[in-house]
Amino acid sequence: MIAETITAPSGVKVRKAATVRRRRSGSSRTVAVLLLLTSLLMLAPFIWTALSVTKPTDVAFANPPVLTGYTPTFQAFVDLWETTYFAQYLVNTMAVAVMSTIVALVIGIPAAYALSRFPGYVSAILLLLALVFRSLPRFSVVLPMYEISRALGIYDTTFALAAALVAINQPFSIWLLRNFFAEIPKELDEAAMIDGCTRLGVLRRVMIPLMRPGILTAGIFVFLFAFQEYLTALVLTDTSSKTVPVFITTQLGQTLPMLQQAGAAAMLLTLPVIAISFVAQKYLVAGLSDGSVKG
Amino acid sequence: MRRREFSLLMGPSLVVMLGLLVIPLVRTIQWSFQEVQYGSPGDWVGLSNYTHALTDPRFGQAVFFTMLLTVIVTAAILVLGYLIATGMNGLGKLRPVILGSMLVAYVLPNIVGAVSFSWLFDQNFGGAVNYVIQAITGQDILWFTQTWPNRFMVIAHTVWHLLPFSMLMILAGLQGVPMELREAAKIDGASTRKTHFYVIIPTIRGILGFVCLITIMDVLRTFDNLIPLSPQADAIGNESIMLYVFDTAFRDGSQQLGLGSAVNVLSILLIIVCLFPFIRGLLKEAKAKA
Amino acid sequence: MRFHRYVKTGIAAFAVTASLVGVTACGAGSRSGTQGATAVECDYPMPSSATTVNVLAYNSSAIDPFTNTMVKSCTREQVTLKHDPIDFGGQVTKTTATLAGDTGTYDILETYGFVIPGFAAADDIEPLDDYFAKHADKYKLNELNQEMRTAMSYDGKLYALPMQAQMYVMAYRKDVFDAAGLKPPTTFAEMIDAAKAIQAKGEIKYPIALPLNATADITTNFQAAMNSYGVDFLDSAGKPQFTSDASRKALEAMKSLLPYMDPQVTTFDQPKVQQQMFNGTAAMAIMFSGRMNDLTLPANTKLAENFAFAAPPAVEKDAPHLYSRLSVDGWSIPKNTKLDKDMLFQMMASSVSEDASKASVPAAYPAREGMVSDDSSKYAAAANATITKTMPTSGHPAAAPVTNAIRPILVQVVTGQLDVAAGMQQMQDLADKTVAGS
Repeated sequence: MIAETITAPSGVKVRKAATVRRRRSGSSRTVAVLLLLTSLLMLAPFIWTALSVTKPTDVAFANPPVLTGYTPTFQAFVDLWETTYFAQYLVNTMAVAVMSTIVALVIGIPAAYALSRFPGYVSAILLLLALVFRSLPRFSVVLPMYEISRALGIYDTTFALAAALVAINQPFSIWLLRNFFAEIPKELDEAAMIDGCTRLGVLRRVMIPLMRPGILTAGIFVFLFAFQEYLTALVLTDTSSKTVPVFITTQLGQTLPMLQQAGAAAMLLTLPVIAISFVAQKYLVAGLSDGSVKG
Repeated sequence: MRRREFSLLMGPSLVVMLGLLVIPLVRTIQWSFQEVQYGSPGDWVGLSNYTHALTDPRFGQAVFFTMLLTVIVTAAILVLGYLIATGMNGLGKLRPVILGSMLVAYVLPNIVGAVSFSWLFDQNFGGAVNYVIQAITGQDILWFTQTWPNRFMVIAHTVWHLLPFSMLMILAGLQGVPMELREAAKIDGASTRKTHFYVIIPTIRGILGFVCLITIMDVLRTFDNLIPLSPQADAIGNESIMLYVFDTAFRDGSQQLGLGSAVNVLSILLIIVCLFPFIRGLLKEAKAKA
Repeated sequence: MRFHRYVKTGIAAFAVTASLVGVTACGAGSRSGTQGATAVECDYPMPSSATTVNVLAYNSSAIDPFTNTMVKSCTREQVTLKHDPIDFGGQVTKTTATLAGDTGTYDILETYGFVIPGFAAADDIEPLDDYFAKHADKYKLNELNQEMRTAMSYDGKLYALPMQAQMYVMAYRKDVFDAAGLKPPTTFAEMIDAAKAIQAKGEIKYPIALPLNATADITTNFQAAMNSYGVDFLDSAGKPQFTSDASRKALEAMKSLLPYMDPQVTTFDQPKVQQQMFNGTAAMAIMFSGRMNDLTLPANTKLAENFAFAAPPAVEKDAPHLYSRLSVDGWSIPKNTKLDKDMLFQMMASSVSEDASKASVPAAYPAREGMVSDDSSKYAAAANATITKTMPTSGHPAAAPVTNAIRPILVQVVTGQLDVAAGMQQMQDLADKTVAGS
């Protein structure tokens, strides 16, 4: 087991203890079982939704709930694709997520780099402001955006929504990236600059290659945030740029078949996200734990 | 780094945040002093929106409910997150599976999780929870129309949604606790409980503080999940501040944009007040580093 | 090593998604809900460039036939009609949003008699008399019921083209009633007696289901109860009537039904009331006629064959009218649309043509005359009987704002948090203020 070097919040670098083979004691087995039960509980709502959307309509929401004696069907999914504009909503959601991720990274990386290399009161204040901005109630920002976008004629476009999300997620991206940059020793910068690199060159040629895992982490987070966004999309979209979360809620007061379609849409959103959370687990953990992911 | 380089690198990001965050904020503050609707210029009314909000029992109820939610959820996810993280710390092969399945609740859109959650409790739609409770106790709990059962459901959902984040952070923190520290405690004869309380928790104080901060920030702005979980929020006193803003400023033709904006401003102040201890701590840290 | 396992699980999840998508998505966008819709002639002047027409209409088995006909028949060559599925609450929000300001998102709006005076008085929707006269012969518009056209008018001008009417209909479980030896009730008192008899049998705990949703439907039901006594929210002079005798009796009547309804009835909109019937947890329901057809479809419930329909009861034995509201649904053109209004009118007109109206039966009760006879559908006889005994009410621009204003108080009275007398006075005061301010 390679011991990884991580930074505890206090700034002290500690070597993580090498994992030793654990004896299977009774208590650790109980813990494992308890944890498995917990994760099952956490997954329960999705399992239930998956069941509800694969039942035929007349038993899907029957009370008392019907668990056996029916043939599962994917009719809700078929109806979703064929009778609604779900394909378009999905494309909108993906487009907004991808666009805002790319732009957020393009403007966030230089900013985070600058903040990590320019110590002092200014940086601290800016970082603090970023924190305060992240804590703002969205409506205080999004309601004026509604008015501005209508005035500018960009209401109900994926562009407007992506721009809004770039701004809203900037504080978090900058925080995260800055923490990653702070891990990289300043001596590297200085060495490169002595060799004749400009500051921008240092960023491009030295930092970014080293930062690839960190950038990936930040990118995954921004993508997930944009994908999940409901409130901003609710206010800023209408018919052309509607995203899947907004679509799902417009179906809440509808009749049964449409309710099932909403559930089917939720399932189709869930699965790629689960995939991401498994594949990118390492990055998500690293990003949340402030540590660096080497190689 | 020279100042010019700093400005150039920081520039685009600052422009975006200024243009798309600060300017709308200024507009909100402007609106809060007006009586206004979308599509028409507003009339200046001074502080009347603020006095209306502060004397409105509905706003008071919203603040109470939001603060209640925040306190209970933060406490719950700190405790539960710590317990689960401690359990997971000892796991080997199972960890990625459990981690992955727990992450699902966090990475999914909040609204989607809330809709799925609400179906479990809705008797009209064959909710499994109602069925089980009725089978065991023969009683029917009214999750959607009674205040406290509804609160329980909302709290359960919020905890469900934020628990993975807390657990992940604490897990990472636990992995940073040096082995030597634990062994020293054991040699000194400390029980497990004492080890946790006096050795481990103080060591990961920073992370616990951070989890606290982010959770308070997020729960104070609860909105998404109340739409499916609490369709009658106002009537049963379970309206969050953000839902109140939505109802007054956007939904259903009741377009009191000025009042909604005033409430927005008030809630910003409330959030800053709640976060003040953390902000002060961060400032101190920054001063020390500078 | 661990990374590979994550990747494997991740790839597995992606594979599942991909196959789900692949299996079900082949026909993406192919049906757009219009497969079963009737195609009619939709002949309008073709614009010179590609045009999208956005239609705002909520989904219900009664409205969908008209919406789908319009979308299917009028989409041709360069013109595409778009209709997003949306629930009723969403339509209300979006209508207000799109009518505010100089530009809007939607070009054709579904409207109904209750809100038309408000929009017309605010000059947000287009008067249609000229277009009507111009195209009356082509689309046989004079066959649209005159009373319904009046219901869609304000200040003498027509503001919406009526497509259908909805009135309250009572649906009940014929098998349960027969087993208990009951007949469909004609007054609230009889309804309560029937409920008690059904409760005594032990199977159905809360036999009555009404849509008393605290954020929308509850005010319609209150209005229906007052209408049964011949009184409306605002009298002809626009004065609120919440302190009237009828108002008190209506509130008490609503409260008297509570013990026989699900305790969570204030969260029930009409789809949820339908669900109660589908699940067999209620034996009687009173809703708008547009929701009745769903009850007869075996795809929705195993009990489809057991439902029978009747006119709703009157609140009291000698009340002048039934507990019912008449709502006329129609199409309007927002003033702020950028498209050619004549084209839009012709699209609307073709959706209420003879073929389309005929095809909408039994799901809807078309505004076009001569479409519905007593055996057009299982509930047609009930609908025909009700429509003559529903109080005719005229609209008022302040009606919708007053309704929004009194709703929270009404909820408090019905749930017992506020007593009837105090509630009535509060509603009256609030309504006076709203009327004065509008």
